[in-house]
Amino acid sequence: MPLDAEPEDARSIVIERLIAAPRELVFKAFTTAEHLAHWWGPTGFSITTAAFEFKVGGVWRFVMHGPDGRDYQNRLVFEAIEAPARIVSRHGGDGDDALEFASHETRITLDADGDKTRLTWCLVFVSIAERDRIAREYGAVEGGQQTVGRLADYVAELG
Amino acid sequence: MPDALSDTLSALADPTRRAILARLALGEATVGELARPFAMSGPAVTKHLNVLEKAGLIRRGRDAQRRPCRLEAARLKEAAEYLAGFRQFWEGTIDRLEDYVKQLQQED
Repeated sequence: MPLDAEPEDARSIVIERLIAAPRELVFKAFTTAEHLAHWWGPTGFSITTAAFEFKVGGVWRFVMHGPDGRDYQNRLVFEAIEAPARIVSRHGGDGDDALEFASHETRITLDADGDKTRLTWCLVFVSIAERDRIAREYGAVEGGQQTVGRLADYVAELG
Repeated sequence: MPDALSDTLSALADPTRRAILARLALGEATVGELARPFAMSGPAVTKHLNVLEKAGLIRRGRDAQRRPCRLEAARLKEAAEYLAGFRQFWEGTIDRLEDYVKQLQQED
């Protein structure tokens, strides 16, 4: 099936969140490797950044360490940056076989809503099949993560 | 090897096929019964049913006259779980972003 036969919303995933902080501050959390290390990935994940250049065409290369001890190679290229409203990055590419979860675009939009920020996190994949392949990878990782969480809850109950 | 999950999710990407599944969630139906609310020809519905059957989302009965269609809930559940897990991955990331921004705000 040609890619243009699949409408963009059918091959995207969109998550929205209202954050109780001004958007300048939310934007700031994306701008340095040091800030990103504090929050990128769900609980139980951590990252080690090898290269980071926050400008259009700049690359962020990092390893994500999963709760199961597995490492995931990541590479992002920043395609658009409009402080403090918008960041577009492309994941993967560059013919690097070591990359996991390759090839999707992330569009982060920050809209001011009074003194709060409406965050829209949009992941756009080249096709539905590619989205599902990647969803399965992440889903499996997150599944493992939930197992760890359940075990921790169980141990707490025992105590 | 064909990728079963990709087949399932491609099949789900079509609104007519999702409507057919919603109808089948109420109980089994024949091609004729399925065609009626969609103002579609029998062959057009059969085409959609073939996609759904290949994706493991429905099963057709053996009765040669009626061949009633039945929903296969297990495959639908599997597909929903993968996407939910993926969404949760990013929801979890945004949870941590939210906590971190609060921390930044206190330091400001």
